Amino acid sequence: MIPQTFEYTAPQTLEEALGLIAGGDRKILAGGMSLIPLMKLRLATPGEVVDLGRVSGLNGISENGGVVSIGAMTTHHAIETSRVTRAHCPLLAETAGHIGDVQVRNVGTLGGAVAHADPAADYPAALLALEAQIKLISAQATRSVAASDFFLDAFTTALEPGEIVLEVEVPAEDQSEGYSYEKVPHPASGFAVVGIAARIKKDGNRIAMARIGVTGMGAHAFRALAAEKVLENGGSVADAAATVGDGETPNSDLYASADYRLHLARVHAARALATAISRAS
Amino acid sequence: MKISGVYTLNVPQERAYALLQDPAILAKCMPGCEGLDRIAENQYAMRMKMVLASISGLFAGKVTIADPNPPTGYRLIVEGSGKIGFMKGDGVLMLSPAGSGATVHFEGDVQVGGTIASVGQRLLDTTSRMLIKRFFTRLAAESAQAGVERVAAD
Repeated sequence: MIPQTFEYTAPQTLEEALGLIAGGDRKILAGGMSLIPLMKLRLATPGEVVDLGRVSGLNGISENGGVVSIGAMTTHHAIETSRVTRAHCPLLAETAGHIGDVQVRNVGTLGGAVAHADPAADYPAALLALEAQIKLISAQATRSVAASDFFLDAFTTALEPGEIVLEVEVPAEDQSEGYSYEKVPHPASGFAVVGIAARIKKDGNRIAMARIGVTGMGAHAFRALAAEKVLENGGSVADAAATVGDGETPNSDLYASADYRLHLARVHAARALATAISRAS
Repeated sequence: MKISGVYTLNVPQERAYALLQDPAILAKCMPGCEGLDRIAENQYAMRMKMVLASISGLFAGKVTIADPNPPTGYRLIVEGSGKIGFMKGDGVLMLSPAGSGATVHFEGDVQVGGTIASVGQRLLDTTSRMLIKRFFTRLAAESAQAGVERVAAD
């Protein structure tokens, strides 16, 4: 449980960090809740590690003109408890509260989780449902990528070499919206066996808008577009939930077979939607 | 762990079979493959560098093509081991014509052991599917290119 020798640098400014990252094969430490255990098991043996923990300006949550900006190095705990996220994007705050355990939430970061793109990570489901934008920066440029274009495959994102996540921008949820994150955690790892993030906007008794993000089911999180359509066209929660996972090949492991996982996703989608609908006004 | 899948290649069945037997093409298409050297008839030594998220490891192993039955299929046996674990895969590839192209159907059993399996069990299924997809995506690109080269040579 002792990692292989590696060189450690902790830049103080973003420019310095980007300069270091641009030059070669370096691993970025953004909390390290995935990287450090892998290094201790020697599954990851990077020669150099760049710690973003001391870079100023990457940490913080603010709301401006209906958009919540969350710095990449903001911890899960800060997102879970911040007044700004609780008021303006409660779905993300609720989701953050489901990640790992309290120790992980105190150290792990949004940027780290997003860049790592574990297929069973919690955030991607919520970020897809919230239609968030992920802002990336390299030594040369900054760009913004929609969450739906960011998660490409297991552990594979739209990040190019030399780029890091700068911040995540979440359009503020409407006060009348209902939301819910329903998760079946793996009993040992705490990762989502399935996780469903749902947002509902009502217009009288009709559902005006439904957004459903699903994680843990496939190689990367995805929106349950068919289920959203069913609800927006006046269909029932049961009918909508029954379409979740259609056309996907569910993951399978020793804990949950593909069939069981699909079943879990549908049951928990129905629960998440029911909660979201009951919270919407 | 059982794996199976169906992929379509845009080249005739004979050509697809030849591509799937060509060590130079296989070496180019297998994710992380750094070399495939012939050690005997239908047997190749393989060097592979697996990089996935933060995990990386060197594997050394052997690829064996058994029961060749051109152009309908063969049995593929892949064995490899490295510091982070070992794997053994045994499967059958079946080719059939599909319009002007060919369909590749494969079915097999993969065993993974060592640290990588004990820690990464929940990810083995997802990642093996991803690696197979990458292989066939690259093979499709290679076959398109090889087709162009052949036309040019004609």
